[in-house]
Amino acid sequence: MEGLLFNVNNGYVEGIVRGYRNSLLTTPAYSNLTQCETIDDLKLQLGPAYGDFLASLPPNPSTSALASKTTDKLISEFRYVRANATGSLAKFMDYVTYGYMIDNVALLITGTLHERDTRELLERCHPLGWFETMPVLCVATNVEELYNSVLIETPLAPYFKGSLSHQDLDELNIEIVRNTLYKNYLEDFHNFVNTHSDMAGTPTAEVMSNILEFEADRRAINITLNSFGTELTKADRNKLYPTFGKLYPEGTLMLSRADDVEGVRLAVDGVHDYKTFFDAVSLGGSSGPGNMGGGSADGKSLEDMFYQKEMEISKDAFTRQFTYAIIYAWVKLREQEIRNITWIAECIAQNQKDRIGNFISVF
Amino acid sequence: MSGAADREAVFPTRQSLGIMKAKLKGAETGHSLLKRKNVSEVSYCQVADVFTIRTNIALEITRRIDEAKRKMGRVMQIAAFSLAEVSYAVGGDIGYQVQESAKSARFRIRTKQDNVSGVLLPAFESYLTEGNNDFGLTGLGKGGQQVQRCRETYARAVEALVELASLQTAFVILDEVIKVVNRRVNAIEHVIIPRTENTIKYINSELDELDREEFYRLKKVANKKQRDNAAADAEMKARREAMEKNESGASKQDSGPADILAAEDDDDVIF
Repeated sequence: MEGLLFNVNNGYVEGIVRGYRNSLLTTPAYSNLTQCETIDDLKLQLGPAYGDFLASLPPNPSTSALASKTTDKLISEFRYVRANATGSLAKFMDYVTYGYMIDNVALLITGTLHERDTRELLERCHPLGWFETMPVLCVATNVEELYNSVLIETPLAPYFKGSLSHQDLDELNIEIVRNTLYKNYLEDFHNFVNTHSDMAGTPTAEVMSNILEFEADRRAINITLNSFGTELTKADRNKLYPTFGKLYPEGTLMLSRADDVEGVRLAVDGVHDYKTFFDAVSLGGSSGPGNMGGGSADGKSLEDMFYQKEMEISKDAFTRQFTYAIIYAWVKLREQEIRNITWIAECIAQNQKDRIGNFISVF
Repeated sequence: MSGAADREAVFPTRQSLGIMKAKLKGAETGHSLLKRKNVSEVSYCQVADVFTIRTNIALEITRRIDEAKRKMGRVMQIAAFSLAEVSYAVGGDIGYQVQESAKSARFRIRTKQDNVSGVLLPAFESYLTEGNNDFGLTGLGKGGQQVQRCRETYARAVEALVELASLQTAFVILDEVIKVVNRRVNAIEHVIIPRTENTIKYINSELDELDREEFYRLKKVANKKQRDNAAADAEMKARREAMEKNESGASKQDSGPADILAAEDDDDVIF
């Protein structure tokens, strides 16, 4: 059914995004990149994919400059697609940007809390999470004003409302604020793709639910693992878990009670994918999950495996026709590509060639 | 020697000669001690050892500085790389957030003084403040483990830096001390000992001069005395002879005592 009318509004955008997907770096391209001796070589190798954007870089650019230029390309492409999107697709794309917006607002809140000049922070904000009224937030001099302007000016208001008051911004750790917002965002997004009349029951809802559920589970597991040994209480932790996903509700309940890595392992036992991850991690690295650094060169961390899984899901999204999810998937794939390039550049710059293969290539 | 310029301004007396000799002896003992030559005095042994110890410590420290610098190179590399891992895992810049959420120092150093054979060397000792976990929640959603590990790696890097700083400070101070000692050795060797020797020589020569003067004077006095004595003796002798003559004349003229004055008036003495 969705195939009948999808292309009327969204055919062009889908075509463009599929074209973008084809320009993503492939495994042979990555193996060329890893052969590079200097950043300049790397830049040359990236020429076909990023030529225009890297042209303005000075010789031997820093890895951060490289990363920001490659991000620029993503931004400009995203903006082009966004400009051509209409109706529910436009709304969908806005939803994609909300995640970045949360990061930006969290940054501004941090700045305001510490009474910094938030105008300087605007440059540090992620361009994807930019919204027109963001500079307005910088006018706020204290947290209460900021809270009110966030409620009025930003699309994030629903995520603040109901779960955070302006006192919370003052008292809670910014990370908790950020994760609360993110939880609300994920739930809202999930709700959006499943209930909007254009998307409910279409491949979009199916694929996006899959992606978002994975994202929710990943966040839940990460929050649990990262909160061990911090002042975050179990009750507070429980509030940060999104209320959907493969782990919800039994898994998240068990996660909220987990005291150590073993507890997390038990909690995720019911989901085959995560169980496999944990088993692989405990086999690979003896020093526990999430161990990316240190001795084991080939041992993949949990984080790596999550990224790997995310990329696979994103890749699979392109096997479906008539869906908005490819845009989300494309953004994620592109972000991973930028991370990969940055990683390879770091390895080259720091002469740590033995770890250079630690990126994730899906195509 | 060049004379007055290179000696101490003392009066050339026996007392100051004694003082100078004592000084020279002291200087030589000190010099041999500082130079680590054979030391006879037990009480100074410690001092000699001090110098050896100091030099050895300085060598030891240079070696450790070398090690620490190499270690720092490695550790800093690992630390920089772990930061790369963080940016890979988090996928963004967390610098600002970390800066803002850090409230108090977790990694602190304590300074204490080590007494290394009389030289006070500052030693920096690093320690972690317990329970200070300001950005423990950074990267809660993703990358938290990498952030924590990165922090640990950097803590190790800072530890290496502190160690290096401690060693270098110690080295600089020891170097200074050793230089001072060397300067002192040179001063003793090239200034104090020659000058004292000169002074002694000067005093000796002055005293010799005085001795010679004294001797000459005495000789003169003796000569004079001899001459005077000879004259006195001759007079005495003449008088005695005259007396004997008179006595014999008187005994010829009359046995009774004659008027001496008259008799003398009569008889002139003929030499």
